[in-house]
Amino acid sequence: MDKQLDLLQGTLDMLILKAVSLGALHGYGILLRIQQISKDRLEIQQGSLYPALYRLEHQGWIASEWGESENKRKAKYYRLSAAGKRRLQAESEKWNRMAKVIAGILQTTPEEV
Amino acid sequence: MESEMDAELRFHIEAFAEDLVRSGVPRAEALRLARIEFGGIERAKEECREARGVNFLETLFQDLRFGQRLLRKAPGFTTVAVLTLALGIGANAAIFSYIDAWFIKPLPYPQPDRLVSFETQDKKHGWTSGGVTSAADFFDFQKQNTSFEQTAAWGGASLNLTGDGPPELIDGGRVSWNFFDMLGAKPILGRTFTAEDDRSGAPHVAILSQGLWQGRYAGDPKIIGRNIAVGGEAYTVVGVMPGTFQFPLMGIANLWTPLALTEMQRADRGNVWLPAFGRLKPGVTLEQARAETATFFAHLEKEFPKTNTNLTWLVSSVTHKIRKEEGGPEVMICFVVVGLVLLIACANVANLMLARATSRTREFAVRGALGATRKRLAGQLLTESLLLFLVGGAASLLFASWGMHWIESQTPGHIRGYIVNYGHVELDFSMLMFTLGITLLCGLVFGFAPAFENSQLDVNHTLKETSGQTSGSKRGARLRRIFVAAEIALAVVVLISATLLVKSFIISVRSSPGYNPANVLVAQLALPKTKYTEDSQLRNFSDEVLSRIRALPGAASTGVASHVPFGGFGQGIEFQVVGKPLQPGERPGAPFTAVSADYFSTMQIGLVKGRFFDSSDAYGTSPSIIISQTMARQAFSGEDPIGKTLSLGEQHSVGTIVGIVNDIKMNYLRERPGWHIYVPLAQFPSRTFGFVVRSSGDPTIMAAAVRDAIWAVDRDQPISSVEPLENLIAVVNTGDRLVADLMVFFSFLAMFLGAIGIYGVMAHLVSQRIHEIGIRMALGASPVHVMSMVLGQGLKLALGGVAAGVLAALGATRLLATQLYQVTPTDPLTFIGVPLLFAIVALAACYLPAWRGMRVDPLVALRYE
Repeated sequence: MDKQLDLLQGTLDMLILKAVSLGALHGYGILLRIQQISKDRLEIQQGSLYPALYRLEHQGWIASEWGESENKRKAKYYRLSAAGKRRLQAESEKWNRMAKVIAGILQTTPEEV
Repeated sequence: MESEMDAELRFHIEAFAEDLVRSGVPRAEALRLARIEFGGIERAKEECREARGVNFLETLFQDLRFGQRLLRKAPGFTTVAVLTLALGIGANAAIFSYIDAWFIKPLPYPQPDRLVSFETQDKKHGWTSGGVTSAADFFDFQKQNTSFEQTAAWGGASLNLTGDGPPELIDGGRVSWNFFDMLGAKPILGRTFTAEDDRSGAPHVAILSQGLWQGRYAGDPKIIGRNIAVGGEAYTVVGVMPGTFQFPLMGIANLWTPLALTEMQRADRGNVWLPAFGRLKPGVTLEQARAETATFFAHLEKEFPKTNTNLTWLVSSVTHKIRKEEGGPEVMICFVVVGLVLLIACANVANLMLARATSRTREFAVRGALGATRKRLAGQLLTESLLLFLVGGAASLLFASWGMHWIESQTPGHIRGYIVNYGHVELDFSMLMFTLGITLLCGLVFGFAPAFENSQLDVNHTLKETSGQTSGSKRGARLRRIFVAAEIALAVVVLISATLLVKSFIISVRSSPGYNPANVLVAQLALPKTKYTEDSQLRNFSDEVLSRIRALPGAASTGVASHVPFGGFGQGIEFQVVGKPLQPGERPGAPFTAVSADYFSTMQIGLVKGRFFDSSDAYGTSPSIIISQTMARQAFSGEDPIGKTLSLGEQHSVGTIVGIVNDIKMNYLRERPGWHIYVPLAQFPSRTFGFVVRSSGDPTIMAAAVRDAIWAVDRDQPISSVEPLENLIAVVNTGDRLVADLMVFFSFLAMFLGAIGIYGVMAHLVSQRIHEIGIRMALGASPVHVMSMVLGQGLKLALGGVAAGVLAALGATRLLATQLYQVTPTDPLTFIGVPLLFAIVALAACYLPAWRGMRVDPLVALRYE
């Protein structure tokens, strides 16, 4: 249980940054968007979303401001900062590289060893 | 911030709920589901706050507000804790102000580390002259050196003041003309000396101290230019020095005159008597100066082999020399002891805090359940501790200033000149910093324990406990016991050290000084050179005064000596055993006193061998000599000194040893027995006199009569003092007495705090175990059994601490060895007595809680919550 969460924390950050890069959203909206672009294959623990948002804001990758939601209610919107954009880029590259390496290992046939 | 977070999270939940409603879930159900899905809101909020990195200051203020409310709600606890801390920290701060003045603050002169002192040293035999050099060596160096900007010398002097009041003998100084300039001392009136003043035969000038000016001369605004009578001669006052001026190497001085040595005195290379110092040129190091003096003296050795063989100068920093002066070790000891007392006080407060914390475990469990992280709880507890310590620290300043005032009141005037930086012992910035520093340090260290304790709780377990006071984590109880045991150990160390010091002091006071000072009156004076030029005049004076005093009713016996013990004067003389050639560079010398025939019997000094002086030792006959016991033993290594001859001093007067007397104490009660040479006053006339009169009763009633006897012979003769010998001794002892008083105070404090510590822990333990006690008693245990159980527990604790303390003391007291007089650092009486005392005190402290435990009604106890 714990192990899964750990992985998820690192990737959750990435997912949030990606979601926000497509346009400013409030917390609930980020949740929906992640579900949407993962085609409902990923489930996020709602309780861990907001601490992650606050952490990302504290680290400077996203910035927040209060605005009006669709049904005219006050909500806090998050958008990607310039540094956040660079961070998202770096993290995705790292992720892709890692995936390639692992895929390569997993595809090794007995003859290639 | 909080409301924003609230709003944001609420928005989220409502938005989710609305989606659920859109998918068909009824509204109320939707809201509930949304909340469940979200999870613990408070926890999420807490994590958000942490993730956000909450404003440290915000948390701090919140904790401080809460903390001070808590303190106000528990006035008993707060008062005891604050008082304990105030006493402990205050005592430390007071002693620190002296440490600061002595060792840390620079000396009150400009660039004090450029000042170095010169003293003659024998390279071959390793002895140093005790801070002096010869006049010729000094003046030659002064002329020829390149390392020093300026050099100056000084000498102490006792000066007779007459006119403008009763004749008075005061401490003064004769100084080089640039003495004050070198020390950067500016007069408040007039000027300092000039080179013209410092010439033999120049018109006499004097500089007064502020105290003398305001005292004897009533603050005369026209003091500059006024003539005063010093030593029978007229001196013109040219300046007044401020009261804050001090030079500890010279001691107290109230009047300065120029050194004004004659040509003959300046050329004297054989007598080593002149203290001197210098100010290094900018850029010159101590090493370079040392190299220069070494070469210079090598040169002198070759040029003047008779006086300077093997001699060179020891060049040391004045700061270093002053700090090593008497009093340094005593101050350090007080500092260490008072530090231990502080630790004891802090342990007590820590225990108090732990005890209070156990009654708050419920509060913390609830907070933990509500989402407080461990870090947060610990932080709050630490802040509360710090707050308590800071309040104690602030209160301590009051105690500190009382303590400093008391110490100051106990320090008599003539010692003050020797206390480094005396005028600067005050509540100043560095002392405030020190107080703040140790307050914070102790607060953090000792506040950490309860913080650590209480922040880790098994929430479930604690909340299920029925009593408001939980069984209090086992660890907490053990911690308290460790603290108390440690406290006791420290208190034992303090008490043992203090007892040793006080015992040493009492022994030194009670020990026989070699004579019987009871009922002896001493009148001291010095005959001025101008009036008494001939030796015969000196002899006549003492003979006449002595016969007058002898005739007084109430004078059981009388005598006179050139210097009396504890009189503040002393003189030494070089001697040579006739027939025993000296090794090159060897210059034996000993303290030297000229006495009347009846002096020994009046003082009740014992004769060991041979005879006292008598009428056969008159003026004109071959001189007789009496030596002290130690000198007989050491200078003559086994041979009988009686009959041997000594050649004394520069005149090489030869005298025969006719007697040996027991050793006496001349200057300090703690001094080791030394060499002493006595000669008859008739054959070695002296200018200084101490008339001693033994009366049958209180000697002070004779004071007026003795004065009159002296003035009957010479009406204008200033008498420096007429006092019982016991007073003279007591005054010199003041430093030791002060330390002994402080030690007694600290011991009481340590023991008192230790006892409170034991009581507190035992009372708490008993109240924790009331339930258990009730059960035991219901099952048939007798009250006595219960009491012995509790007492046993308490004693075990106390004895553990005492044992640890004794072990620690065995090691620690070795450091005191130099301060102890005739008391060994492992004095068995002390090492047995103190633990015994503690065992009794511990027993007494346990008694009340044990008695309470004994009176427990089992029925009540069983229902006790």
